This record gives sequence, structure tokens and C-alpha cells, in this order.
Amino acid sequence: MSRRICAVAAALGVALAAPLAAEDFRWAVTTDPQSMDPHAVNSTPVLGFLNNVYEGLVRRGKDMSVEPALATAWEPIGQGEGWRFTLREGVTFHDGSAFDAEDVLFSYERASSPEADTASWFAPVSEVRVVDARTIDFMTNAPNPLFPSSIANWMILDSGWAEANNATRPDKESGNFATINTNGTGAFRVTAREPGLRTVLEPFEGWWGEAEHNITRAELTPIQNPATAVAALLSGDVDFINPVPIQDAARLAQDPQVKVVQGIEARVIMLGFPHEAGALKYSAETTDANPFADARVRQAVAHAINVPAILQTIMRGNAEPVNQLVSSAMSGYSEALADAPAYDPDKARALLAEAGFPEGFSFGFKCPNDRYLNDESVCQAVTGMLAQVGLTASLDAMPVNNYWPELRGGNFDIFLLGWSPGTFDAEHPIRFLVATPNEEKKLGSWNFGGYSNARIDELLPLIQSEIDEDARQAMLDEVAQIMADEQAYVPLYVQPLVWGTRANIELTQRPDDFFILRWVTVN
Amino acid sequence: MLAFIIRRVGQSILVLLVVGVVAFSMFNFVGDPIDNMLGQERTAEDIARLREQLGLDRNFFVQYFRFLQEAIQGNFGVSYRQGRPVTQILLERAPATLELAAVSSILAIVFGIALGVFTAIRRDGVLAHVIMSASLIGVSLPTFLIGILLIYVFSVELGWLPSFGRGDVVDLGGWKTGFLTASGLKALILPSITLGLYQMTLIMRLVRSEMLEVLRQDYIRFARARGLKDRTVNFHHALKNTMVPVITVIGLQLGAIIAFAIITETVFQWPGVGLLFINAIQFVDIPVMAAYLMLISVMFVGINLLVDILYFFIDPRLRADRTGGH
Repeated sequence: MSRRICAVAAALGVALAAPLAAEDFRWAVTTDPQSMDPHAVNSTPVLGFLNNVYEGLVRRGKDMSVEPALATAWEPIGQGEGWRFTLREGVTFHDGSAFDAEDVLFSYERASSPEADTASWFAPVSEVRVVDARTIDFMTNAPNPLFPSSIANWMILDSGWAEANNATRPDKESGNFATINTNGTGAFRVTAREPGLRTVLEPFEGWWGEAEHNITRAELTPIQNPATAVAALLSGDVDFINPVPIQDAARLAQDPQVKVVQGIEARVIMLGFPHEAGALKYSAETTDANPFADARVRQAVAHAINVPAILQTIMRGNAEPVNQLVSSAMSGYSEALADAPAYDPDKARALLAEAGFPEGFSFGFKCPNDRYLNDESVCQAVTGMLAQVGLTASLDAMPVNNYWPELRGGNFDIFLLGWSPGTFDAEHPIRFLVATPNEEKKLGSWNFGGYSNARIDELLPLIQSEIDEDARQAMLDEVAQIMADEQAYVPLYVQPLVWGTRANIELTQRPDDFFILRWVTVN
Repeated sequence: MLAFIIRRVGQSILVLLVVGVVAFSMFNFVGDPIDNMLGQERTAEDIARLREQLGLDRNFFVQYFRFLQEAIQGNFGVSYRQGRPVTQILLERAPATLELAAVSSILAIVFGIALGVFTAIRRDGVLAHVIMSASLIGVSLPTFLIGILLIYVFSVELGWLPSFGRGDVVDLGGWKTGFLTASGLKALILPSITLGLYQMTLIMRLVRSEMLEVLRQDYIRFARARGLKDRTVNFHHALKNTMVPVITVIGLQLGAIIAFAIITETVFQWPGVGLLFINAIQFVDIPVMAAYLMLISVMFVGINLLVDILYFFIDPRLRADRTGGH
């Protein structure tokens, strides 16, 4: 008798502990993830979404630190010849098949293939060896202390599933089974997918981890029009929107029904120069010289721009100034570096006079108008501020689809660029924006101005392979100092991240702009 | 007669080909899809390879010719963004647009004619003046503003209707309809008003002026003199005779409703072909843009062709001209 009562009580207890009502969570984003294939597109909307469905060997925690996921432990091999990962036991994919080292090897081959968009993550890898079903070795060309954290977004697919469905390689151009279907190990599985319309997720019962969330069903809808998204949030048709338009943030924060969650993104917005060009392309009078080749002119630009004023007016106080190419939230950020050049128009004029341009000069300023938050307004403000010291910019703002071809073609005298380091480390922008462009070594692919500094080129491989953290930081500090002294770029600010939720939602915002569903609680 | 039709069809095909040339030459200005298809860690090699695979390294005449070759066989290629056949995507999205257009047209026709007749018959009434003034809003306010206003009043403030989307749909053998669920019907209300408002005011003003014109005619006076009821005179004699131009305009506007649903669909995140087209422009999804533009031009050319042929039957002068005569 008493045993039966105990059983009933236990059953009740279980019932009470479980979420009482089905917690349906709906969220809206501007851009629908264009593919469900984690190796086909290396972009925030795709990887951010798929982080809920697929998992890597390691993952990033709430504070961006690297923590175990499908691997429980990892250690360097020998003197830095590679990394050994110990894989988690008892993990299954959503379709029930077991996870083992063969899936990791398969996913490595798939993600590093030429068809994949993620191949650059594996550039340092020379060989991958399966030791046993629970152990796998990644051999690297040189010691690579950052390798585990650099593959935090590399997700593991089931080899059997991919082979059975003819999806052993990603297919960007014509798509394949994995473009629409998923089979991950993550906390959520996709139960319905209508590209561009909606994607439905439900918790995966067989997930190895312990659920922190109380969601029973989640639905993602893309809403392009920002005003519609705000209306949907205000009316309760959705529980979460990303992003909130900057101009609506203050008004939304007043509404007791909704919350605005703000932080800084990993993205640094900067101005770039044509270091290599022999002459300006869009100048009315300076057609035979390139004043921006002179560091003093670049410093004058930095002193002429009143960044705090831009942030106050255009970003409504939501962004932070920055003095280097990464934000303070990234690893390898140089604490030693002094503040960015202060707003000082007199000094800017003096520097211009010293460089031989006392009257200033005119030039062309290229800017996107739909890529970064309020990008065109920022460029207009910059244009006005430069005019104060005699630098007459003719602003040419254009959609991003036209913008990148222009930059690749070198059609600029100054340009605006935003950079979010995929590895969340200061080495990333050096590799892509600062290193002397070199197609063979795959360096400097976004260094449109052709900036080149022998010392930095020499330091980069050392930084990439240095195991001692202090020595590595010292080299990163040195690069940051050279960049600041030469004013190779003018870093302006760190772009803000503004999310909006209903008041009853608890969530965690990460600077990579990934929305992690398993940290969401519906109250 | 057969010669006339063949000539018209030939002209229509020529128009379609020219539209295609214009469309394809415009794609060069929309931008480069490569950067949307590759992540930031792409190399120059990746860019060159993808460009070659997509045939973007050729000039637009070659691209256009290849598109035509495939299109004739009913193959519109694969969407750059979604990696799925464009035909399949368009078929998925078409029901949403067609249902929205149908409801908007019915609203526009029913209310347009009713209000037009009313304001014509009671031309000096206070209500008629109010309606006429209010109709100016429908003509002059841009669609997206009307849409946003409706969303703020009925979704955000009153909470009666959904702010976006299509609600729940029922799949009838590939045709997903929103007519069969309560949420689907509720979701239709605001977008169809937004889309139909302009057409409604247009029809209303047209019916009113035609009606006023007809009401002045002698046969109306005679009808009244014969002692017929107002109702019979207004609806049987007058309205019937105003309908000829009204039907022509309605026919032409039907095409416009489908083609210009783009803005309404964007404001309400209505999952139709217009929203698909806007997405395609943002992404430089050339296959989707090309297929959509071709579809819309085929529709317009088809309507015009039909109208031409109808005129041929209706208007004896056209026939006399073409058959040579004496």
C-alpha cells in the first residue's frame, strides 16, 4: 500500500517537475539560413542557426570560452605536432545512429573539400588519423595552439546518413539532400523546413546533455521588413526578434511587454586606405599622387573623425569606440595599446600641412548602404567631419552586392569595412586584412588596399604557432602597435548587437550573434 | 482572322524576348551573387571557380541564350540562394500570391462597385462626400504605409489580427491553401485590404463617373418617365451600361494586383512570389529573378493577347480592316 502511494507521489513529482504547458517559442530573423548544410555556407545566419541542430567536437559557452561538446577532452600531441581528441560516449544522431570517430573523419573530409565553404579552417591540418572509435588525431603542419577553438563551428555529420542520401560533399550550386534535411547530434532537431518561410525545431530526446531550456517547440520565421518584425514582437506574434532597428531600441525598451537585450558584436567597423595605389582614382585635382600612402595623412583622417559623436547620434549610444581591429571581448586583444587617436581637427590640419597638403585634397569614399548597421549614415557623418579639415570626400554609397566587386577591383580612395573574426581571436584580422596579399598562401584576401609590412608578415606565422600565451600576446601587441603607429586602418567602433524579446523570455546573448536555443527559458 | 492571331502571337513572343534581354542586361547592375554564396574566408580561387561554374564569367548574351535554351524545356535552373529548382520554388509560392490576389480583387470589385453606385446615386449626400474624400487616401497613400498603419492598429494596439504571415495552411495536393483554417482566413484580412485598396478606389471612382454619365442619358429619363422603380432604373438600366469600361479596367488591374503584390507581401511577410522576388534581388539570385520576370511578362502579354483577340470579335471595324474588304 505504502509503496503504491510512493509510486504515485513519485509520478506526480515527475509530472510537476516537467514543464507544465507546452512552451512554444517563435522567433524572427532578417535572413533565413540559406542552407541546412553546415559545411556549405560559412555565414552567421547559417552557422548560428545550425549550432542548435549540429555539434562540433568543441563548442563555445555563454562567455565564448571553448568547452567540450562531442569531444570530452583534447591534448597536444608531442611538441605540438597535432591535437588528440577523446570523443564522447553514448552520443547518437537524431536518426538514432551512433556517433564515432569515423563520423569525425568523414566530416573533416567533407568540410575541408574544395566544394565546402569551411575549408580554410583546416588549412593547418596535414593529416587526420582515427586511433580508435573514441580517439582521433589531428596532425598540423606547425604547432597550432588555437586549433581546438578555431573549429568550434565545425559540425559533425553522420557518415552513413550522408552516404545513403548522396550528400557526401556539400553542393552550393545545385543543392542536395543535406541542403534541406538535417541529422545532427544537437539539442534540437528540425521537424519541418520550408526555405524562406519557416523552420520548426523540437527538442531531441536522445541528446547527451542536460537541457537548461523549457522549450517544447520552436519556430523560426524570416521577416525582412524591420517595421513588421517590431510589430510582430509588440503584438506577441513572435517571442524574439534579431535585430531590433537601432532607432526603435529606446522605444521598445519603454514597453513593459518587451525587453531589449544589448551587447557588442564581435564586428569592428573601420576605414581602409589604398596603400598600394600610385594615384587617387576619384580626385578632382590630386590625380598624380596618393596622399594616403603617407602615414601622416592617415593619422589626420583618424584625428578628424569624432567617433563618440557618431556613436551618440547615429548609434544612439549603443556602440563602443575601439582602437584596434578586434573588440576587447576577443582573445589576443591588445590591452597594452593606447587609446585611439582623439578627435582633434587642429592636429589633423597640422598633420596634413606637414605631409604637404595644407589645403587638403578631394577623393572618393566608397561605402555600403545595406551591410552594417546605419552604414550609410556613418559614412555621411565621416564625410562631413573630414570636410572640416579640408579633406573633401565624394561619398559613393551602394548596396553590398555591388560593393564587394568594387573593392575587389580597387575602385576606392577610402572605404568602409566591418570585420568579425571567425575565430574570436586577434590573429584572424591580421591574416585577412593586414598580411600582404598572397593567393598561394591564402593570406590578405580582404586586404583590398594592399597594405604590406614586412615585420607583421614575419610575425604572423610565429603568432599562429606560438604555444606560450605570454609570448604570443607580446607579438600580437607588437602588431597592434605597428598598425596604430602606421594607422594602416582607422578602427572606428564595435558594432552593437540589439535583440528584442517578450518580457517573459530569458536568454543569453553572445557577441558572435548566435542565438542558442538551449539557453532560452519561457516563463 | 487566323493571320491576325498568328501575327499577334508573333509580336507577343518578340516582346517576351526583348523583356528577357532587358532583364538579363539589368542583372549586371544588381550586383555580384558570389559574395552571398561564399563566406568571408573564401579565397580568390574559390571566387573564380564558382563564377565559372555558374557561367557568370560569360557575357550576358551567352547567359541569356543558355537561360532561353533551358527555359524552353521548362527548366529555369537552380536558385543560387536555396539550391533548389526554381520551378519547384515558384510552384510552392504561387498559391499564396494567387489567393491573396483573388481575395483582394473580390474585395476591390464588390466594394468598388457598391460604393461607386452609392456615391453616384446619392451624389449630394453627406456620406457620399465622406466616402469620396476617404477614397483619396486609397489613391494617394503608398501601399507600405497603409500596411504598416493597419498592422499597428489591428495587430499591435487591438491585437485582433496577426501582424505577419499566412497562418496555418492546408495542403491540397501541392496547393497550400489558407482558406480552410481560421488563422489562415484571419491572416488574409489585412494584406488583402492593403493590396486591394488602391484598386477599390479606382473602380469606385470609375463606376461613379460612368454612372453619373449614364444617369444623364435619355433612356434613363424615359425609364423614369415610364414609372419604373428607382431600383430597377439604377441597377438594371444604368449599372449594366456602365460595366463595359469597368470590366476592361478590372481585367487589366488583375494582372497589376499579382505583379504589384510585391510591396504588400514584403510588409506582411506574405510567403508569395513577390516576397521571393524581393529576396532574390537582395541575394542576386539570378535564376529566380529571371524566372519571375519571365512569368510576370508572360502573364501581361497573355492578358493583352486575350484582350486583342476579344476586341477582334467584339469590334467589327477591326475585322473589316483586316479582311481587306473592297
